Amino acid sequence: MSSLTARSTLRSSDRAEADALAVSVENLTKVYPDGTEAVRGISFAVGEGEVFGLLGPNGAGKSTTLGMLTGTVRPSGGRVEVGGRLISPQAYEARRLMGVVFQTSTLDRQLSAVANLKLHARLWGMSKPDASQRIAELLSVVGLSERGDHPVATYSGGMSRRLEIARALLARPRLLILDEPTVGLDPIVREDLWSLIMRLHSDAGVAVIVSTHYLEEAESICDRVAIVDHGRLLALDTPRHLIDSLGGAVIDVRTDEPERIAGRPDVAAIALHAPVVRDHLVSVPIATKDVSLAALVSELQQLSSSVTVRHSTLNDVFIHLTATGRTFEGARS
Amino acid sequence: MTAVWSGIPALYTRRARITLKGASAMVGQLASPVLWILVVGPAMAKALGGFAPGIDYFTYVAVGQIAFLVPFTAMFAGTTVITDRLFGIIPELTVAPIPRFAYPLANALLVLTTALVQSGLMLVLATARGAHLSSSVTRAPWFVAGVTLLCLTLYGVAESLAHRIPRQEVYGPLIPAIGVTPFLLCGSVYPLHTLPGWIQSLSKVLPWTHAVALIRYGSMGGDPGLRAIWNRTSQPEMAVLSVLVLAVYAFGALALAVRNFTRTTTS
Repeated sequence: MSSLTARSTLRSSDRAEADALAVSVENLTKVYPDGTEAVRGISFAVGEGEVFGLLGPNGAGKSTTLGMLTGTVRPSGGRVEVGGRLISPQAYEARRLMGVVFQTSTLDRQLSAVANLKLHARLWGMSKPDASQRIAELLSVVGLSERGDHPVATYSGGMSRRLEIARALLARPRLLILDEPTVGLDPIVREDLWSLIMRLHSDAGVAVIVSTHYLEEAESICDRVAIVDHGRLLALDTPRHLIDSLGGAVIDVRTDEPERIAGRPDVAAIALHAPVVRDHLVSVPIATKDVSLAALVSELQQLSSSVTVRHSTLNDVFIHLTATGRTFEGARS
Repeated sequence: MTAVWSGIPALYTRRARITLKGASAMVGQLASPVLWILVVGPAMAKALGGFAPGIDYFTYVAVGQIAFLVPFTAMFAGTTVITDRLFGIIPELTVAPIPRFAYPLANALLVLTTALVQSGLMLVLATARGAHLSSSVTRAPWFVAGVTLLCLTLYGVAESLAHRIPRQEVYGPLIPAIGVTPFLLCGSVYPLHTLPGWIQSLSKVLPWTHAVALIRYGSMGGDPGLRAIWNRTSQPEMAVLSVLVLAVYAFGALALAVRNFTRTTTS
């Protein structure tokens, strides 16, 4: 339970800070002029070469947090360092250490892939020979060598994404920020893209901060994940620890009386955390699949349309934290 | 040049590439002024004669067309900013290690290059059609200053609007409204004194009026435009005053464009 709390997050941060840091975020806040508190005191650190996931529902504060990391959103409080450089006063130096892939395409569609990459190289201050060599190398890695001189407008969505990843890595950044990089892509292209990102990551040793809605992706690629909601950090740890903290398994009960099932004393007795009720589904986190559950499962089956016992996933952690954050608060108290 | 400053030539080159890919738009912008030089100007000169001795009316009108072309080109360039904003590269530029002003400044410099080339073409065409131009090494800079400052003023307005206006369909009608309408009030086709008194007062504060007076002073020699604005005797002194007025407009418009770009890309 404790590893699901922000308190344990700080312990994780402390551990990461012992290593060389790619990013350090301390007590970051953002209040927009209309009074919206988008980010409320978030702290975390990302080590060199680490893959760090930023997860949360829509409006949780992920984009604002990434915006403050990239310097496009001014923090209302706190501090952000990238590669040991403060984002605000030393923005150019800090930005030179970053490559960013945005949620939507930011390529010049009228220009060729090579022209897009050359522009990036010039903006990031690369020498011409270095840029030419690196462009050829990266186009080859992302499988676009043959289409390098074609206008980007003729590219598919997957090709454009691969080009944007190549562009973000062109100037050998220390930090790669990926904001929903696979949104809108089909599953095969998504898988190919992640395989490419992870290959480039392991070759270059670059730290990666990724924001994604695809939790199975985050579970498989991230060294650590942070779950944010309503501008607050709810949890930060390795996916495995977070899953283990929720419990090894979940009982899903589909029923017309979800509140009644969730409120049963025998359910509460085995639940490691408060059950989550969504529509007609009750999810009860439990320690492990255990033979002692058989009697309870059998009884629940009499009261519901289906009962499933399965291993818990990061998706369960996410749902428990974001859908029932107050439940966890209550459980802690 | 540091990497921070190299952003401006990089963005200038980018805008030039994109502009050349839409060369038909640049040719289209020339259609109306060229028609004036080839057909309308000579016809009006023939029909109406001149309004002052010593001033060739066709030359007067032909040079005045530059006050139509330059603002139109500058305003039209705003559409590319909207395209960048809605479908293009602006987010990438906001995380690049370059200052925020690099984008509007590089755009403005490319539009200025286009406007100077177009203005030069207009002079060549006018001369070929029989205009009597009269310039010198000392007077040509007034022509360049008039074109440059008018272009930067209008481009500053265009870029500011392009960052504020949500869609191209909304921006489109503003091109003739802002870029072209004042051309009819600035003494480009007829002298200021032929306009109603209250419009004359308005005209004297328009950047178009100062620009067209400078353009004519730099390319035609004696011109009543500067005297109509300032009512002084020294032509160089009046030209300096008009340059100062235009410089204030240009600086203000560009500063506003940078501010708008910064505000819309940093929350």
